[in-house]
Amino acid sequence: MELLSSVFWIALIAGALRETTPLLLTALGGMYNERSGVVNIALEGIINFGALAAAVTVQLLEAPYLAQDPNLRIWWIPWVGVLAAIVVGLLTAWIHAVVSIRYRADQIVSGVAINMLSFGLPSIVLIFLYHNATASKEVVHRIYPLSHYLPQLSDFFSSPLGRILDQNPLVYLAFLLVPVSYFALFKTPWGLRLRSVGEHPEAADSLGINVFLMRYQGVLLSGVLAGIAGAYLSIGELNQFVRLMAAGRGFIALAALIFGKWHPVGILGATLLFGFAEAFRIQIGGAGVLPSPILQAFPYVLTMLVLAGFIGRARPPAAIGKPYEK
Amino acid sequence: MAVSPWFVAKRAFGGRGVLLTPFGVVNPAGVRGPFPELGWLPLAFWFWLGLIAVAVVLAFVLPKERLPKVLFALGGVALLAFGVEALVFYQAAHAINAAALAEGVNPRRLPVKRHSLSLGLYLQLFYALFLFASAKLAEPGGRALFVRYRGVVVPAVSMALAMLAGAVIVWILKTPPGVRPPVDLFTYLVTKLDLVTYTYQLLFGPVLSLPGLFQAFLIATPLIFTGLAVAFGFKAGLFNIGAPGQLIIGAIFAMLVGVYVPGPRFLLLPLAILAAALGGAIWGAIPGWLKARFGAHEVINTIMMNYIAVSVMLFLLSKNEWSFFGHVIHLPFKYPGYEPRSYEIQEAARIPMFLKMLGFSGAGPGHLSWALPLALLAMLLVYYLFGRKLDLGKRVLYALGAGVVGYLIGGFLPGIPMQVSPALASVRLNGAFVLALFAVAFYNFYMWRTKHGYELRAVGLAPKAAEYAGVKIASKIVLAMAISGALAGLAATHYVLGGGIDEYRLKQSIPYNVGFDGIAVALMGQNTPVGVTLAALLFGVLLTGGLQLNLQLGISRELVMVLQALIVLFIAAGGFLPRYFTDPLLAAEVLKKEAR
Repeated sequence: MELLSSVFWIALIAGALRETTPLLLTALGGMYNERSGVVNIALEGIINFGALAAAVTVQLLEAPYLAQDPNLRIWWIPWVGVLAAIVVGLLTAWIHAVVSIRYRADQIVSGVAINMLSFGLPSIVLIFLYHNATASKEVVHRIYPLSHYLPQLSDFFSSPLGRILDQNPLVYLAFLLVPVSYFALFKTPWGLRLRSVGEHPEAADSLGINVFLMRYQGVLLSGVLAGIAGAYLSIGELNQFVRLMAAGRGFIALAALIFGKWHPVGILGATLLFGFAEAFRIQIGGAGVLPSPILQAFPYVLTMLVLAGFIGRARPPAAIGKPYEK
Repeated sequence: MAVSPWFVAKRAFGGRGVLLTPFGVVNPAGVRGPFPELGWLPLAFWFWLGLIAVAVVLAFVLPKERLPKVLFALGGVALLAFGVEALVFYQAAHAINAAALAEGVNPRRLPVKRHSLSLGLYLQLFYALFLFASAKLAEPGGRALFVRYRGVVVPAVSMALAMLAGAVIVWILKTPPGVRPPVDLFTYLVTKLDLVTYTYQLLFGPVLSLPGLFQAFLIATPLIFTGLAVAFGFKAGLFNIGAPGQLIIGAIFAMLVGVYVPGPRFLLLPLAILAAALGGAIWGAIPGWLKARFGAHEVINTIMMNYIAVSVMLFLLSKNEWSFFGHVIHLPFKYPGYEPRSYEIQEAARIPMFLKMLGFSGAGPGHLSWALPLALLAMLLVYYLFGRKLDLGKRVLYALGAGVVGYLIGGFLPGIPMQVSPALASVRLNGAFVLALFAVAFYNFYMWRTKHGYELRAVGLAPKAAEYAGVKIASKIVLAMAISGALAGLAATHYVLGGGIDEYRLKQSIPYNVGFDGIAVALMGQNTPVGVTLAALLFGVLLTGGLQLNLQLGISRELVMVLQALIVLFIAAGGFLPRYFTDPLLAAEVLKKEAR
């Protein structure tokens, strides 16, 4: 049966890693801001903006070169695209931070506003640049899987293990960030401060920790990571920006964050689970086993069960969602 | 004011215009005349400059007690000058057209068309209002007045800021129509300012025509429902982001009843509407129960349930055969064909078109029936005049009875003959709009006139205090989420039963994202019934105008969505106003201090 063939499993695992990456990046980002006591519903919007920034930057940068020679390839262009995504992600997160930390706004309202902005603003930019409301021009300079950069290892990358490991560098970055985040959050003074600000800001403040500064850092970090996730979608997986590119990934990441109990390792497990479900759905369209809409709803149902305490208890940071007043 | 166009003497389709400024006529696209030319504009400009200078000097020189009166007077002068200028301009335009008519020109081909006031004049109006406002502020207790009406001030300021930001976006992204880039600075500034002004003129344009207004009502209908849903949650201290999901489930329920349940119209239509409410209520009650029972935050759960609802819809509509582990099951819901959509709603379960409810049968001559206006009049009369002494339940009941009587009597009266233009007849505004207004009334009564509503608001303001006072919080949360969900579910009646998306079916393309727009509506309307209605109508107007914006200037109508998002963002930040506008306690302090 096709289900049991090794080709299928290799494709499934490789696909799962690809699907997991944007979720993992975003959820880890979300972990930093939620641990600092700020809810960030805006992750979805930040991914959209990051994806837009990366695709547009790369397209604008490569256009003059390609006009000279269509076969020209310049190695740094996609990485500038990633940088642009980071900058735009930072900027978007900064808006959320200012409104919800400095102006003590309802953090959910602010996040909703940014998401709405990310549904509308890209269309205006796309019409201005490409006279097309739904997609950007396709770009040539993408971030490719490793085999593209290491042609001398092509033998290895055609073996079964190689085909699984033949991933985008950003995939490796995402998985590398799990131990890094664990170390930063639980083994450094900075991580302790970040967590304390999210648990009991008054106590942290009385110990001389700058609550606002820590929260800004938490939110901005989430902007960086969600921005990278956006770049991964637009110039890693695909070669253009498409409107509503995040397609709910920001919210699934939020779900994974809760499912993973605000812990890097837990988040890794949750995003892998959701990534596998999605890859499974894409690989076989759910045919024969489960209807694809049911597979699609799977992460959301799981998250609700976890939140309600049917599958382990999830305890959010104590001061989450509350603006801090000195 | 110096570089802004004061009047648009003539505007061609696509936005090319003849702009009258104090420093000459700007006509970059070469629109041909004749058009009114106003020689007195430079004079008027210096007059305004003088007016501003006088106000500034007086503000510093005059003693505090006399300032308000002088500012009021100056404001009056400014308003008068504005009115005179506008009048003279329209007279000039009219004179040219009248002369052409006298020569026998076809009335449809008048020489001066689409002329209007422009930014310069608007600025004058704003300046006059600004003078009045600062006069009020300078009065003793003036600040307290603004703080007392902060429910209006904060959304208004946020809206203004959002429009400013929108103007910047348009300014950056768009070259004015008909302008070729190498132009001198003056022309550049004038045409850009005109572009921005014209953008907003187009956006607010639907207010000026009946078909435009009807279209705005059409778009506002689901927004009223979802806005009420979110507002209902807010009042009870709950954040319902689940309106999209509740709308979808409501739509599915309405579809199930509308397509599959047989019955006569007078039973089936109410049943279908109630089914929509029930579907939404169930979908809302689940996160409510999860919060009440397990303390799970409703925001996350409602977001998750939005996606689950989409999955449910896809499951029902996208295929009729699914297999579970090889076991095939069959569904009856999908209509054959490529597009995922349901079968058609039966005739008996459809909500009639609004024009039909008014007694018209389509474009052309018809009679405006008295039934609906008379029913409304009777209801209001009984409620406000004769029902004062009764208790609320009877009062509402009698008012509704009077409405029915009024409807019946009105149906027998001869109607007023009227012409319905084809443009008006093509708008698909349906009875769901009336239903939305009833929902507003329900919200008003339930929240502010009943014990249950009082308890809900108490839970929203201070849950601990409410609990000590004997309110059962858990059941209140479930109830509030259920009603909130029911209101969102009712929005589906507009789409499925009212044919709001061109067909009387449930389609996968049902724009459930209006559930998110409900958040903007609720915030803009500050959770009050009147506010929510007005906010929904405002967004309805803007979204209708967005169509023209796309057509004439090639600016994506998503600009309206951006404005909406910015309004939400700015309201969340309290309009960047001082703290005492957003914090009730600080506001109370200001009010107390100024009262002394």
